[in-house]
Amino acid sequence: MKPLASLLLALVAALALAAAPVSAQDTPRMGGVLKAAMIGEPPSLDIHWTTAVIVQQITWHIYETLYTYDKNLAPVPMLAESHAVADGGRRYTITLRKGVKFHNGKEMSSADVVPSLQRWGKMATSGKALWKTVEAVEAKDPYTVVIHLKEPSGSLLYGLGGPNNAAAIYPKEVIAAAGEGQIKEFIGTGPYRFVEHKPDRHIKVARFKDYAARTDSPDGGYGGRRVAYADEILFIPVPDEAVRLAGVETGEYHYAQSIKADQYDRVKTLPALEPGVVKPYGWITAVPNHKQGVMANKKIRQAFLAALDMEPIMAAGIGNKAFYRVDGALFFPEQPNFHSQAGVTGYNQKNAARAKALLAEAGYKGEAVRWITTKEYDWMYNTALVAKQQMEAAGFTVDLQVLDWATLVQRRNKPELYEIFSTGFTLGADPALATSIQCNWPGWWCQEEKERVLTEMLRETDPKKRKAQIERIQAIFYEDVGRVKLGDYFTFQVTRKDLRGFRSSPYVHFWNAWLAR
Amino acid sequence: MLVVATVSFVLIRLAPGDPASVIAGPYASADDIGRLQTALGLDQPLPVQLVKWYGRLARGDLGDSIFLRRPVLEAIYERLEPTLLLTGWAMLIAVLVGVPVGVVSARHHNSFLDQSFMALALIGLSVPNFLLGLLMILCFGVWLGWLPVAGYVALEGGLWPNVRSLIMPALALGLVQSALIARITRSSMLDVLREQYILSGRSKGLTERTVVYKHALKNAIIPTLTVIGITFALLIGGAVVIETVFNIPGLGRLMLRRDYPVVQGVVLLIALTYTAINLLVDLAYLAIDPRIRFR
Repeated sequence: MKPLASLLLALVAALALAAAPVSAQDTPRMGGVLKAAMIGEPPSLDIHWTTAVIVQQITWHIYETLYTYDKNLAPVPMLAESHAVADGGRRYTITLRKGVKFHNGKEMSSADVVPSLQRWGKMATSGKALWKTVEAVEAKDPYTVVIHLKEPSGSLLYGLGGPNNAAAIYPKEVIAAAGEGQIKEFIGTGPYRFVEHKPDRHIKVARFKDYAARTDSPDGGYGGRRVAYADEILFIPVPDEAVRLAGVETGEYHYAQSIKADQYDRVKTLPALEPGVVKPYGWITAVPNHKQGVMANKKIRQAFLAALDMEPIMAAGIGNKAFYRVDGALFFPEQPNFHSQAGVTGYNQKNAARAKALLAEAGYKGEAVRWITTKEYDWMYNTALVAKQQMEAAGFTVDLQVLDWATLVQRRNKPELYEIFSTGFTLGADPALATSIQCNWPGWWCQEEKERVLTEMLRETDPKKRKAQIERIQAIFYEDVGRVKLGDYFTFQVTRKDLRGFRSSPYVHFWNAWLAR
Repeated sequence: MLVVATVSFVLIRLAPGDPASVIAGPYASADDIGRLQTALGLDQPLPVQLVKWYGRLARGDLGDSIFLRRPVLEAIYERLEPTLLLTGWAMLIAVLVGVPVGVVSARHHNSFLDQSFMALALIGLSVPNFLLGLLMILCFGVWLGWLPVAGYVALEGGLWPNVRSLIMPALALGLVQSALIARITRSSMLDVLREQYILSGRSKGLTERTVVYKHALKNAIIPTLTVIGITFALLIGGAVVIETVFNIPGLGRLMLRRDYPVVQGVVLLIALTYTAINLLVDLAYLAIDPRIRFR
């Protein structure tokens, strides 16, 4: 045994020695100013007001929510300590963490949480959707909040934890001062506090010294301990993509978001840079108009779906294979609670003959299919262009209309103006609230059975039953051709190698990341 | 000015996309956008909004910015420094490069020098300034590392850092304009150099230097001055693009958001400045050309 033991000891020592330089280099350190090149200016700093992604990306370093998402994008407590569900799923009693301070020095209590949630339920898009089932919110004691529901909700915790248009907890004084307008002071409980906003220059946040971090270790998602290693973060609006990349190459920025995927292979060869694939991000979609025109005919929609070969479409749209995935499921493989291939039957058929037969059955006489798209997002135009060729090979007459994005967004609300429009659906953690399957959204996919299952899913709290409901909706989605999903796409962000501990994820964040010397 | 005010007011409202939908974000419902429109007063009929705006204008009040949440005048005042410095340097570069190149080309008409200058000027006129800017960023920022790729250092941060942050943007903006000035100066110099009085100057033994710079240039500069006035308008248009490429927080960047009161305010200011510059150009004619004074 002795020789073996000494061998093991030697092995352990060798491993430790080999690992030593790496771990010394990778030891988190405090300090430095982290510079992040963002795509533009946030239109507001009041996260209750807006669904703009850039507002969420910046402000969630300042504000926090009762819940957040773990690595499987399921809700976990953040400012909440725990919760208990009673009354058949109609009453949530949420216990708050004690000793959590706002950036103004005041301790957070239920007196702040109740008005924050009420304001969110009144103003936020996701808040309003959720509030339809909320009867009342009350403060039982300084650390307990009770939410009374009209009916059980499987979406409540997802909604309270969602980063976009988040249910952020503001101090009650800030809410009172805002009245019906936007908040005037930007105070939260987050690891960074707001310092200044110089429009078109930067938004500066600085480490909050009295931050009450959670004690549980980071879980690979967004929950657990958050540490502000950088002294300050500057969010710098850099609208030009080439300049963002040039700036991160020269070291003026540590992070650059939304870089063109065709730069990926070059960035990989640059020793100072770390390419990051934001995965999952969203799916590219062609939305047929169910309200009027030829696409209101199910057989014609089925012909549209049958005609498409997704690989060349996605290759044209995105280019680099690292940034797309040909997958028809409504939820991403990265959401294991909801991802399933069941019911995904009509995706990627590449069957022009079947499309022709369906068109003949539907009595299609070559009426022009007006597809509105935009070059502002080149992947929308490029995918539409290839799909158009495939459709024409199957007998469709396609009139591809290229508009600017603002006009497209305006026109998609008018059913008389198009048969198909291009869009992208980004990641949503709660399946019941996913825009992609809602009826009251342009395209107006309002199928009776789908609506019924969706309503059931809103109430359902058991994840297993929810997954079965998703599989049913998926089957209806492909049978009725609610929308035409072309494929998943991911975005590209670049960091400098001296930004350590940073993880490319759907919701970009800089806590737990530090600047190496 | 009233016409400019009205046209800018109507045009920006005709463009698709309004401040409410920008603030509400891409996933907002039509109801949410409607609520914001009401809060911002954008749901009122256009004539009502227009009359209200006239009323404020009459009191010298340009209104409040929707996105910046402060008076428009204050927002404009904050942005004046970068834009004035950028367009000032660009104008200086345009004139200092354009006029001498034009004069030298005319003096050495049809020589290799002239043809190379004019070929460069043709390229300069054809290259969009943002492309020139991006190429400069690649060359001087990324490859050589001499200059910052983007960003602006205010004057209070020191004169040299300020100048350094403006070198590339001012060159990108100014060089393109210098091409126009060079071509105009050259052709007008060529016309003047063929005049009788130039011949008589030469024949009475004046040095070539005196003929070209004292007699010819003074007469040839009038059309150039007009072009310099026009250049100002082009510079302002170019500044919107260059400020975006180089991330300079100037007036141009203010115009890019659908912030109605701000865009209207900046358009008015530009129209006013443009008129003032034209007046200055006319006054400069008087100073340079006695014939105009005596007419």
